[in-house]
Amino acid sequence: MRIYIFLLIFLVFPVTVFAQNGYVEVTAPGNHLLKLAVDAPVSFDATPNPVSAREISDVLVFDINMSGIAAAEGRDQLPPQSVTTLADTDLNPWKNGGYDLLIRSAYSIKGEELTVELRLFDVQNSNLMVAKRYLGRTGELRRFVHTFADEVLLDITGTKGCFTSRIAYVTAQSGNKEIAVMDWDGHIPLPLTKNGSINMNPDFAPDGREIIFTSYKRGNPDLYRRALSNTAEIPLSSRNGLNITGTWSPDGGKIALALSKDGDAEIYTIAKDGTNPIRLTISQALEVYPAWSPDGKQIAFVSDRLGKPQIFIMDADGGNVRRLTTSGSYNVNPRWSPKGDRIAYTRSMGGFQIFTIRADGSGDTQLTSEGNNENPSWSPDGRFITFSSKRGNGQGLYVMRADGSGQTRVSQGKGSYSQPAWSRN
Amino acid sequence: MKRRVLTLLAAISLAALVLGGCANKEVVKSEEAVVPKAAESSVAAPAKAEAKAESAKPVETAASLDPTGAKQAAKAAAPVADSSLETVYFYFDKSDLRQDARNVLSKNAEVLLKAKPNAKIQIEGHCDERGSSEYNLALGDRRAKSSLQYLITLGVKADRLSTISYGKEKPAVQGNDEAAWAKNRRAEFVAK
Repeated sequence: MRIYIFLLIFLVFPVTVFAQNGYVEVTAPGNHLLKLAVDAPVSFDATPNPVSAREISDVLVFDINMSGIAAAEGRDQLPPQSVTTLADTDLNPWKNGGYDLLIRSAYSIKGEELTVELRLFDVQNSNLMVAKRYLGRTGELRRFVHTFADEVLLDITGTKGCFTSRIAYVTAQSGNKEIAVMDWDGHIPLPLTKNGSINMNPDFAPDGREIIFTSYKRGNPDLYRRALSNTAEIPLSSRNGLNITGTWSPDGGKIALALSKDGDAEIYTIAKDGTNPIRLTISQALEVYPAWSPDGKQIAFVSDRLGKPQIFIMDADGGNVRRLTTSGSYNVNPRWSPKGDRIAYTRSMGGFQIFTIRADGSGDTQLTSEGNNENPSWSPDGRFITFSSKRGNGQGLYVMRADGSGQTRVSQGKGSYSQPAWSRN
Repeated sequence: MKRRVLTLLAAISLAALVLGGCANKEVVKSEEAVVPKAAESSVAAPAKAEAKAESAKPVETAASLDPTGAKQAAKAAAPVADSSLETVYFYFDKSDLRQDARNVLSKNAEVLLKAKPNAKIQIEGHCDERGSSEYNLALGDRRAKSSLQYLITLGVKADRLSTISYGKEKPAVQGNDEAAWAKNRRAEFVAK
């Protein structure tokens, strides 16, 4: 969160804890799906800005619908109301329209200065649930609205949303493979590497300010580290052979990765400055793609020690190795959920599909079936999984709920996108 | 540690030389134990069948397999594959050397020992598009290294040889069928 953003909380009434009113997550079968209206945003200024108004509405509708907590739709005002009535909105027309929830918003744009005010109403009980005002720059419009959507989820479900998080990925649009980042919903893509080489497997530092990735830019597949705010790419591991599938430990102190300096690819950890390699796996087989448990005590990884790649789990010191996946003959790309309960992975079964499995090996569940789907990565709140998918045109980046529902393409336009990695905050 | 692994690999390679195609039975056996699904074997089976048919033919067939496409692709990239050194091909998800691969490597070793005694060579390991990117990087690494070890066994000095894996990042030919895959599962020899 940047410092110059003021976040003024308008607590008109003590906000009721909505979750206790019998509203529960609607992904469970049999529950009533809440209807949420997003009222057309109104302008504080004399001249409305239809583009910004549309953007506010679109972001809210997309975030809420993807969350699955309610069916959201953008609506014209019922009836048309002036800015001054934002605080005491007449909820009766919305109640009569069959809505459970209403979000009203207003904005002001003066040069570079942006003000956005948003309110969530419980229509049925005539309550104001969340009210926020955000002051900043015009470029922050989407982020302000995402931040409000995070608050909406917090209020309704007790767990904050992840809508201000970002996804790093590999794009082949230039003909090479370069690393870029985008907002979770695919907007505001920001190219990072521009070295014309093969760059792969980005992974966010826990604080979201840096990524690590592997690049062939100096010939060998070496591991680099780079701040999002900076163009400097610092070599972290340039050991002989592979320096691939690096991933930050949850506390940011270490990086687990696969190195082949001693023969086959094996799992190691290195310090965050690249020093002090510690070998964790010792086998005649190849091992890649480590994935930390959220408490940092265990590491899942891919090994073909039984002949075909399968996912195993070991303690973070390399001990106590046990097999996780027992179904399917080719299982790769493990990623541990932020809650620690499940591990998402990719199975090759003719095509690639995304599965999740409990960390104890039970509850193996297939989430995708259309096209070819790879490289799952969890959202920081554990609600969503992003993955790359070849379905229809080209290869795009998708987001789905953790149960596989709501699969939605988020990468913009055509081109080939792969290896998405969700930020951890 | 490294020495021991090298020695072990050299020993395995020698055993492979003596025993012909039987050296890697162990690996295949353990793999089959983990392949209960019909869906998977339908993917792997045609690949194997075709690949076996190839290797059963004389070495010249393997050489003629070397597609012009492969050479073009190599030319497009910065390093150029040494035209006097032939490309070696592999079975799906395997890095052990087939009989045709051993024959090619023997010829390559002869070139490196006689015609080009000073050449330094980087062996590039490549894979077909079917595996995951990351696993394929490790598999390509192993393919390059098994080729390197065999050349060392045949007398080429280790300090003339290095390896790099490109996984499935640089296919020799485009295509989504066994014909294309077979040409992409390879180790190429590039002058350093």
